[in-house]
Amino acid sequence: MDRNDSFREFVAGHQQALMRTAYLLTGDAHQAEDLLQSVLLKVLGRWSRLSRVERPEAYARKALVNQHISWRRRRVRSELPTAEPPDRSYSSEDSTVARLVMRRALMRLPPRQRAVIVLRYYEDRTERETAELMNCSIGTVKSQAHYALARLRELAPELAPKLADVEAEEAYR
Amino acid sequence: MTWLRNVLVDLADDSPQVDLAERTIAAHDRRRRAVISYLAAAMVVVVALGVTTAIRLLPDGHQEAASIGDLPARGVGPLSHAYRTFCKPNSGKAPSGCRDGGWRVVTRSGKTYHVPEALPSLAPGRTGLRASPLAISRDGRKIAYYSAREDTFQVRDLASGQKTTAATKVPQSQLGSVSRLMLSDDGRFVAFSKVPDLKDPAVLIDMRDGVARELPNRWVPIGLSQDGATITLAEYSPRSRLRTISNLWPSSSKGDTTSVILPVDYFFSPLAPDGKTVAVIENRGTAEKPCRYGDLALMDTLTGEKRKPTAVSGLPSDVSRISLRTWLSADEVTALTTSERCRSASEAVNDEPAVNDPPYQTMTAYAVNVRTGKARKLATYRAQGFFDIVLPGPPGAL
Repeated sequence: MDRNDSFREFVAGHQQALMRTAYLLTGDAHQAEDLLQSVLLKVLGRWSRLSRVERPEAYARKALVNQHISWRRRRVRSELPTAEPPDRSYSSEDSTVARLVMRRALMRLPPRQRAVIVLRYYEDRTERETAELMNCSIGTVKSQAHYALARLRELAPELAPKLADVEAEEAYR
Repeated sequence: MTWLRNVLVDLADDSPQVDLAERTIAAHDRRRRAVISYLAAAMVVVVALGVTTAIRLLPDGHQEAASIGDLPARGVGPLSHAYRTFCKPNSGKAPSGCRDGGWRVVTRSGKTYHVPEALPSLAPGRTGLRASPLAISRDGRKIAYYSAREDTFQVRDLASGQKTTAATKVPQSQLGSVSRLMLSDDGRFVAFSKVPDLKDPAVLIDMRDGVARELPNRWVPIGLSQDGATITLAEYSPRSRLRTISNLWPSSSKGDTTSVILPVDYFFSPLAPDGKTVAVIENRGTAEKPCRYGDLALMDTLTGEKRKPTAVSGLPSDVSRISLRTWLSADEVTALTTSERCRSASEAVNDEPAVNDPPYQTMTAYAVNVRTGKARKLATYRAQGFFDIVLPGPPGAL
C-alpha cells in the first residue's frame, strides 16, 4: 500500500463525518467542500507523520475548526443565505421548518460561537474537548456557548423556548 | 439537548456527498510540482548571482498552483461536467482565470481546463451574445462543441485527442440565443437546435459518414437511438410537446413523426435508457408564483401517457428550481437543483440589476429514484444558470 492508498483509505473512512461538520460550520455546500479540501491538503502534506499517529482524524478535525475560524475572520462580509422558507416545501413537518430557521440563525453567528454550537451540541464534545479543538480555555467555551445560545434565541425567536431548555439542561451537564 | 442535536443532525444531512480523495491528491501533486519549479527557478537565480553580482536576476515567478490550463491535446480523463463562464457577475466573484463566454470542462478527478477551441458565447468586447453550446457524451469521454476555427461542430475524443469535424458548415449567425447540443453515446451523431428558430433549421449531423439532415427547430433533442435512426425531441415553450421522428436516414426522407401535445407544462428529463420513456415534473409555477412543481412521473414519449407519479423526498426544503438531467441507471435520474430565491415577475422587474451577468450560485445534483421518489445527493457545482452547466448525456428540457 503506497502513501496515497493509505490516505485514500483515511479519506474514505472520515470524509463524510468531517464534511457534515464542515457544512454546519460554513452553512454552504460549496464552502464546506473548499474548507474540507484545504484541510485534507494539509493532512496529505503531513501524511508521512500523521499516518503513524493513532487518530489522524483528530488532527483533521482540529484543523477544520481553526481553518473555519480564521477564514471567517478574514472575510469582510459573511455569506448570508437570502432564501426565505419556501411557500411550498417538500415536507411541511416541523423539523423542516426548524432546520431552515436554525440554518439561517447559525449563519449569523460569529465563527467561534458557531464552532462551539457545532462541537458541543452536534458532535457532543465535552467542554474540555471543545476547548482543546478550538485552542482556547474551558471558560471561553462556556462563555461562547452562553452567548451563542442567547444570540440564537434572538435570531430565531420561534425556537427560543426550546433553546432556553437547552441552556437549562446545560447547567446540569 | 436532544432537540438541538436532532436539528443539527437534520441540517448536516444536507451536506454534500463527494469524494475528495482524488481531488486532494491531484491538487497536492500540482502544488508540489509548482513548488519544485519555483525552487528550481530560485536555484538558477542563486547560481546566476554567484557568477555575477553586477546583474540582478530574479525568477519570473511561478505558475499559480491552481491556475487552469487549456485542454491538453490528449490524455484527458472522463468528465464530470462542463460550465460556461461570464466574467462580470452582478454579485460575488467570477472564477479565477475567467474567460468571457468560455467553456471549461472538469474531469471526474477534479482537473479543470479551458476549451479554447469552442467559440466563446460572448463576442469580443462583450458586443453580443451567441449561444455556443457544448455537449458531453454519456460516458464523459467525448465532447462536442462549435469550433471557432471551423465554423461548425467538432467532436473530440478526450483520451486520444482525435477530432472529427462536421462536413456541413453551420454559420455563427445560426447559433441563436439559446442553443442545445446533443452528442450520441458513441460520438457519431451531433444534434443541434436553438431558439429563436428563425428560418434556418435545426440539424442532425452524422460525423462519421459526413452527412446531415434537418430537424424541426425550437425542439430540444433529448434522446437518440443507438443507430441514430430515431430521435426524441421535447418542446417546453410555449407549450409542452414531445415528438419522435424515426427513419431519419437517408437524409432526403421526411421520416415518420409522432407528436404529442400535453395538457400541462412539464420539465423533461433526457430519454430514459429504455428508449421510450422520459421523467417529467409538472411546472406549476406562474409569473406571480414561480418555482412550484408537481410530482415526478414517467411519461411514454409516443402517447404522452403519464404513470407512476411520486413525490420527491430527500431534497432540502429550500430547493427552488429543478432541472432533470442524466440517467444514472434504469431507475435513477439526475436532478440538478438550486436554492436561489424565486422572484415573481413583478419583483424581478422592480429589482432587476441594470448590469452584467448573473451571479455564480451553488447547484446540487441528486440522484432521484423514479419509482420511490427518494433523492440522494451526488455533487455540488458552481454555475450561473442551468443553461451554463452541462452534465454528461443528452440535455433535459426546462
